[in-house]
Amino acid sequence: MVNLILKDIIIQKNTIIFYIATIILYLLVDVSPIFLGVLYSVVFIMTAFSTDEKGNANILLNSLPYTRKEVVSSKYMGALLFTSVIIFIIYLGDFFLNGMGEVFLWREILLIMGLVMVTISFILPISYKFKSKHLLMILVALVGLYLVTITILIPNLHDILREFVQNFLALQETQMYFVAILTTVILYIGSWLLSIRIYERKAF
Amino acid sequence: MENVIELQHIHKSFKGFEIKDFSINVKKGFVTGFIGGNGAGKSTTIKLIMNLLKQDSGTVSVFGMDYKKHEKDIKERIGFVYDENIFYENLTLKDMKRIIKPAYKNWDDTAFQRYVNEFELPLNKSMKTFSKGMKMKASLAIALAHHAELIIMDEPTAGLDPIFRRELLNILHELMQNEDRTIFFSTHITTDLDRIADYITFVHNGEHIFTKEFYKIEEEYAIVKGTLDLLDRETEQEFISIRKTNTGFEALTADKNRVINIFGDTVIVEKPTLEDIMYYTKKGR
Repeated sequence: MVNLILKDIIIQKNTIIFYIATIILYLLVDVSPIFLGVLYSVVFIMTAFSTDEKGNANILLNSLPYTRKEVVSSKYMGALLFTSVIIFIIYLGDFFLNGMGEVFLWREILLIMGLVMVTISFILPISYKFKSKHLLMILVALVGLYLVTITILIPNLHDILREFVQNFLALQETQMYFVAILTTVILYIGSWLLSIRIYERKAF
Repeated sequence: MENVIELQHIHKSFKGFEIKDFSINVKKGFVTGFIGGNGAGKSTTIKLIMNLLKQDSGTVSVFGMDYKKHEKDIKERIGFVYDENIFYENLTLKDMKRIIKPAYKNWDDTAFQRYVNEFELPLNKSMKTFSKGMKMKASLAIALAHHAELIIMDEPTAGLDPIFRRELLNILHELMQNEDRTIFFSTHITTDLDRIADYITFVHNGEHIFTKEFYKIEEEYAIVKGTLDLLDRETEQEFISIRKTNTGFEALTADKNRVINIFGDTVIVEKPTLEDIMYYTKKGR
């Protein structure tokens, strides 16, 4: 299974430099590390996914001595690993560029991890079911929905989100954290199992 | 004789295509050519054997094991060559090796290198620069590097020029010097099989027509040519199908001796090619 995770790195090895360079660039102009962490993690995970899908890599992977369970599981385990590495890179970069100033560091990390896990929990099963190019359509629809929301329905959506993030980072109650973490983990495992189910029924 | 692959009573339905009660066996240690027209079910069968597709009912067993319990053990021993490109286009063959090698327990780097040299494959050029023939050879080098006992090929010669095709057949011929190895390959270029196949499995319309030793086909089947007045309702029953022209008829029989007994010297009996058999079988159904 480790081999399959390594495979996701090998197929993106030419773009990794590009990722790191742009992360540094964004950090220089003070883009939020939380936003960067979530964005890059999801992009990295989904690029690996769509590369597999684009060619007939799924035929290759399923002809090699791997089970379908392993192919799917490698994506979910890889997602956690890649997010950790990206968080590490971002905060390392942030430390060198902007110096140490974050008190809530571990909460930010937790928030990035959580947001990535929630996003991936929704994206992966949909992608396994429908092909990720349909995801693009869903994304376009979501952007549309988002635009409608901020212009007509909830004009102060951004303030609400910012407030949510601030509240989360300022939370003192460990119980709240515990509930949030537990919910995320359950969602992630549920999505994992669902993806295995979908993938095992697939024909190539 | 031992079977490497056994498909029994397979049912599988798709939109507009169906395989019903489909059973085939592939013998160990031989080359089996798998023939049938476009859409006959060749690729579907290969996908079932590779577990890329799951049957609605029936059993697939490879090396006497089933995929539910022994998926990895089975695939460990299979080499595959597909009709379509299965490589990551932007990666080099070296990178592909890095991805594929750790999947197999008994990967042999020296064997891989030897075949890469023999097939004159570039290690550092991206797969998208490879021609179809080179990709086929790359798949074969990978299959041979993990000492696959069973090599499954889906239309390996389709779209290759005659030189590549002949090279491939020579390679396969060489491989079969190893007696434990089995090759199962589908093709619709039937002349490829003349040089190499021990058995022929013929499918038509999702149905298994026959699996026979190559030489027996020539003994049993025959193309019969004669004048139209020899045909009546009764004698027409002797043939799988008949093609009539102004000057006479040409037909295929599955029982050469019987036809010789019935018609004697009044007809010309010729050896059929596999193409003749495919053509007349399709016509007769």
